[in-house]
Amino acid sequence: MDAKTKAKINPVTGASIKQALESRDGHMLSSFYADDALLRIVDRNNPPSKPRELKGKAAIGMFWDDICSRAMTHRVETSIENANQLAFSQACAYPDGMKVLCLAFCDLKGGKIARQTVVQAWDE
Amino acid sequence: MTLPETRYATNGEVRIAYQVVGHGPIDLVFVPGFISNLEVQWEDPGFARLMTRLGSFARLIMFDKRGTGLSDRVDAHHLPSLETRIDDLRAVMDAVGSGRAALLGASEGGPMSVLFAATHPKRTRALVLYGSYAHFHSWVLGRDGLEDFVRGIEQAWGTGASAPKFAPDQDARFKAWWGRYERLSASPTAAVALARMNAAIDVRSVLPAIRVPTLVIHRTDDARVKIAGGRYLAEKIKDARFVEMPGRDHPIWTGDVDGVVDEIEEFLTGVRPPPDQMRVLATILVVRLVAPERLAAKLGDRLWSERIDAFREAAKQIVARHHGLPVGEGAAEISARFAGPARAVHCAAAIREAARGLDLQLGAGVHAGEIEIHDEQATGFAIHVAERIAARAAADEILVSGVVSDLIGGFALHFAERASEAIEGMRAPLRLLAVMTEQHLEPRAQTARKPSLEALTAREREVLTLVADGLSNAAIAERLHLSDHTVKRHVANMLLKLELPTRAAAAALIGREKPLRGL
Repeated sequence: MDAKTKAKINPVTGASIKQALESRDGHMLSSFYADDALLRIVDRNNPPSKPRELKGKAAIGMFWDDICSRAMTHRVETSIENANQLAFSQACAYPDGMKVLCLAFCDLKGGKIARQTVVQAWDE
Repeated sequence: MTLPETRYATNGEVRIAYQVVGHGPIDLVFVPGFISNLEVQWEDPGFARLMTRLGSFARLIMFDKRGTGLSDRVDAHHLPSLETRIDDLRAVMDAVGSGRAALLGASEGGPMSVLFAATHPKRTRALVLYGSYAHFHSWVLGRDGLEDFVRGIEQAWGTGASAPKFAPDQDARFKAWWGRYERLSASPTAAVALARMNAAIDVRSVLPAIRVPTLVIHRTDDARVKIAGGRYLAEKIKDARFVEMPGRDHPIWTGDVDGVVDEIEEFLTGVRPPPDQMRVLATILVVRLVAPERLAAKLGDRLWSERIDAFREAAKQIVARHHGLPVGEGAAEISARFAGPARAVHCAAAIREAARGLDLQLGAGVHAGEIEIHDEQATGFAIHVAERIAARAAADEILVSGVVSDLIGGFALHFAERASEAIEGMRAPLRLLAVMTEQHLEPRAQTARKPSLEALTAREREVLTLVADGLSNAAIAERLHLSDHTVKRHVANMLLKLELPTRAAAAALIGREKPLRGL
């Protein structure tokens, strides 16, 4: 299956993001990104002036593989979208009950995520 | 930081203590060496640094092997096999919901990590082996060496006496901590049993079976495990990367901890961490020679050069005495940074005194702001602002920015307002103030000028006397044959000259100045 067909099967929408995240499907998540996508993460360890940056589909795919290998729950609560943008909130919990809350904002290009910024906070 | 919570995973009937640090996307399990204690580890600054940094890009999972630290004690005469320990590691990963993790095996933690990676390849994301080996007797101690080591445990366990054998470059503080770490990680009997068990380690045959990305780090002169042990690991594990680092301290949390973590972070995330930069709030002092060419021309180059050297030396000592750190030196400038603004101003005054003794004239500028410190070099906008202020200062003048005077508040320094300076990059012109030479030892209010009657005209004194007698303006006008308006003006002028707020205050003043009566 070539990338184009796959993108048709899994277009980036609030619903497909919800499905991929909640089922911890790292492979499906990776398929949402453009080859030269940029994922920026801002959290306590990565302040706005020095966000953690993952460049390219391979690095982002590895990131989602890591996240999805964790036995934690993800719930996409809200998503807002238009032709070129998608934003969603994600509530996550570790097995011990510790919670993480993420807000993500994506710029879309040609049906793929070109740029995504994630801001997250967690219990400590 | 607050210590992470210690929790327990269960493997059969044995409880394994673990901690989790950080929220990075990668799960990283630290597999400790010979002995460990999850809570005592945090007392060592190097260890805390290591864990905090690893926890900045990974979710770091740490545990004490069964029989050590905070995990259940086991019968020292029937220690668990390496396989049982690997199962403990799996139990900890299950407890924290880690489906797949990178393993960082340090020292004896290495062989255990190797065995885990071979047994559970799907749960192993990557392998990092630090100061490790595959066969104890080849690369750690020979049979005689082992007997000496065991005797050492029996005689001096918990005293820290063995610290130099592991970390020869560490100090007395480390040695004392090491003793405590020994005592709280294992009993002497358990330590002997563990040492004998580790001596039996041989995972050489497992190495070719490893199929996960592997990084091997070893210090050139590792005091405990020969570097050949690390090289062997890297040779036998397919596509392993080998990194040799200088140093002889064996524990991963001693010596150049940041260098080790940089390698691990780059290997696991693909990104080398940006160089360690620190932003701090500092007060910057810049002193500048005023018209140095005049004296230079008078003295000639040789004498001038000697004079300047003497000045620089004196300034250096004065800066150090005021707990300052040098920032830089130009042909006619010296700059330093201080933790507090008052120190910077006092230092400026002391340097000015020293300069006077050498017949030099200085202007000084002081500003406070955030600066970037990298490799002990300070840089930043605030430094250039201080330079601009110094350039504005006249000979013998110490100019400070409004930020500095506000921070100093009432600490026995007195400032006089000067014209503000517009500086590119700042939203508003920067307020400048000159430090006044006299230092007020008492609050200013008490030294305020006393109202002087001498400033008054004869007519005003006359009016004042009548005011003091309680007469109204109308009554005074009648008495002095003046118009109401004129009396009002005299009273107003009089109050202005005396810097008093009301006629009652003026009346009170007259009351104290008896001689005026009868004028």
